[in-house]
Amino acid sequence: METGGAPARSGPADREPPARRVDIRDVSCPLTWARTRVALGQILAGETLEVLLLAGEALDNVPRTAEEEGHSVALREPWPDAGGRAWRVWLVKGAPRPASELLP
Amino acid sequence: MALSAAEVERYARQLILPGFVPLTQEFLRVARVHVVGAGEVGGPALLYLAAAGVGNLLVDDGMDVAPEDSASWLYGADQVGQPRVLSAIEALRATSSFSKARPYSSGAEPTAALICAAWSGTAREAAERARLAGIPHVVAVVDGEGGQVVSVPPGAPCYSCASRPGSGAVSRPGAAAAVGALGALELLLIVAGAVTGPGGRRIDLVLGEPQARATARVPGCPCGTGRSL
Repeated sequence: METGGAPARSGPADREPPARRVDIRDVSCPLTWARTRVALGQILAGETLEVLLLAGEALDNVPRTAEEEGHSVALREPWPDAGGRAWRVWLVKGAPRPASELLP
Repeated sequence: MALSAAEVERYARQLILPGFVPLTQEFLRVARVHVVGAGEVGGPALLYLAAAGVGNLLVDDGMDVAPEDSASWLYGADQVGQPRVLSAIEALRATSSFSKARPYSSGAEPTAALICAAWSGTAREAAERARLAGIPHVVAVVDGEGGQVVSVPPGAPCYSCASRPGSGAVSRPGAAAAVGALGALELLLIVAGAVTGPGGRRIDLVLGEPQARATARVPGCPCGTGRSL
């Protein structure tokens, strides 16, 4: 399930609220990162995406993969309002990479 | 238009590939690829293109399904004698609901071409038509236990400059499928926008090992001027 708009709770005081939110608590790998990636494609470089996810595979892999692809993690905290295993992560979109990196 | 939830789910495994962004998938969705030949090379290539999400496949083959065409991955024994193009489209429709396959016809205005012709003369003619139409194209030809795949983005050396003579050996089905898959991959790189420069390349498949090299224009070839050969 994906929702837009502002996050339910405030984040770091020095950062703009997220431009978009994606909820990936109902899916597993590879859809966790696929949905996150699609949502990142819908915001601009420098903007923030809030990702609602579950502890475990998603929390282990989504922030790490985002950093490997040039984005940064601005916030990573439990989100008990949404259930015991729920976390939220803020990803700040990095600059796009050249398409030539696709070439083998 | 953004990807639907169903498309994200369908293509999740390639959407997570490094360098493959959602926009890449959208490029594939709007592509119209003219596929020349639906035999032992073209059959596997068509399946890969459909599975990858190429939105429009224009199938171009005037032959009927032969008993030996089971190597093409598309045809069942009960389809022998039927037109290849119709049987191929039926198989592709069963593969993906996101990819529309139809017979190629003049005026179809493809955005790219994948040429999997069984004969070198047919391949050259089809490649020349694609070059003169200004569309990127890839030519995949099987040769014995290997083959070659030549990529010709706009402005690159033409197929005649870039290809090398084959041995004429009888093709092996496994090699044909490998060459078809390589051809589909090369075409996907072009359609996805991953090939931005004017350079082409040729992949020689030798003893199962692909060897890629940049192609060069033969001195004096009129393809450098945009004229016909």
